[in-house]
Amino acid sequence: MHIVDGALSNPVVIGGAVLAAGGVAMGLRALTLERIPAAGVLSASFFVASLIHVPIGPSSVHLILNGLAGLVLGWAAFPALFVGLLLQAVFFGFGGLTVLGVNAVNIALPAVLTGLLFGPMIRRGSPLSAALWAGIGGAFAIVGTTAMVAGSLALSGEEFIAAAHLVFVAHIPVMAIEGFLTAFAVLLARRVKPELFTTFAEVRT
Amino acid sequence: MRRLAMILALCALPLPALAHKVIASVFPSGDSIEGEIGFSNGDMAVGQTVTVYGPDGAELGTTETDDDGFFVFTPAQPVAHTFRADLGAGHVADVTMSAEDVAKILGQEPIVTETPEDRTPAAPVSMSDQQRAIMAEIVRDEMRPLRREIAAYREKNDLQSILGGMGYIAGLFGLGFYLAARRKLKDAA
Repeated sequence: MHIVDGALSNPVVIGGAVLAAGGVAMGLRALTLERIPAAGVLSASFFVASLIHVPIGPSSVHLILNGLAGLVLGWAAFPALFVGLLLQAVFFGFGGLTVLGVNAVNIALPAVLTGLLFGPMIRRGSPLSAALWAGIGGAFAIVGTTAMVAGSLALSGEEFIAAAHLVFVAHIPVMAIEGFLTAFAVLLARRVKPELFTTFAEVRT
Repeated sequence: MRRLAMILALCALPLPALAHKVIASVFPSGDSIEGEIGFSNGDMAVGQTVTVYGPDGAELGTTETDDDGFFVFTPAQPVAHTFRADLGAGHVADVTMSAEDVAKILGQEPIVTETPEDRTPAAPVSMSDQQRAIMAEIVRDEMRPLRREIAAYREKNDLQSILGGMGYIAGLFGLGFYLAARRKLKDAA
């Protein structure tokens, strides 16, 4: 999920940086006072979740939780995930500073999309149906991210189909786990703190 | 249940370790350059083509890693050698050996712009070249696991850094919160 420095061609890196800047600007406009604490918590959970590697079979995967961030924050997921990525690059050399823009777009854009597509579903209806949609949303965000990663590699000259297949297959377990986690998180939030979703809907302009 | 079985079956496919850092290192080995390429979780890059570039970007040759991720390249010129391997899926290994080190291997003066230091290797007279080569071989073999341990250790995410990162996040969002609140109070006034 984290593309490293030097793997992408310069136009892709620059394009990613421009897109990321735009996304962060959009996100900061959407980051209202009520949303800041939630953004901080989700930023921290993304930061930690992608450092914990879960060994599955011969390989190991890490969670991303960008679907949940998108569902709760909408556009504000962009700065939240960007901060997490920046700190990972600085502290652990995860990804890199030059490809920060590309990585941010790859992870945050699917998050925002998930928020726009599935956000309305989880704000109305029973908590149970909200959880179901959230599960689909959580998996969808990972699918989006794998497609974006494969796309950025393809733009730099790698075979898209091969790259996409590789990244996609490796992340099937992640999709399943993220789907479950997002579903349960939303279920819990709807039961315990339903205003988490409604406040933001009213604030949304 | 069926889903779980499918997931496990898919995971059993030999997959490259994604979402790991690439580790690459080179070191002198007798009259050639030895190096290793792998991932931070201990998986080594097997059968990976490594391309060697000079300081001017000219290709000096290629080599391939063996089953343990090791590769050997015999240099011909005393210039800086850069070893690059594309492991796919956004993982690139890139490691350089300086001109001095390559020159040492070749036993020549390095071709660099700055003046090289005066090196007079004190060769003990009591040992023949062959004995020294054997000694060096033994030491290298002993060092190899140690080098790997150190590389793996460097990659360990320790709790301190994670907590530090979380502290940064809390601080950043706290600052944002403060600024937003101040703006709100100004608007209200």
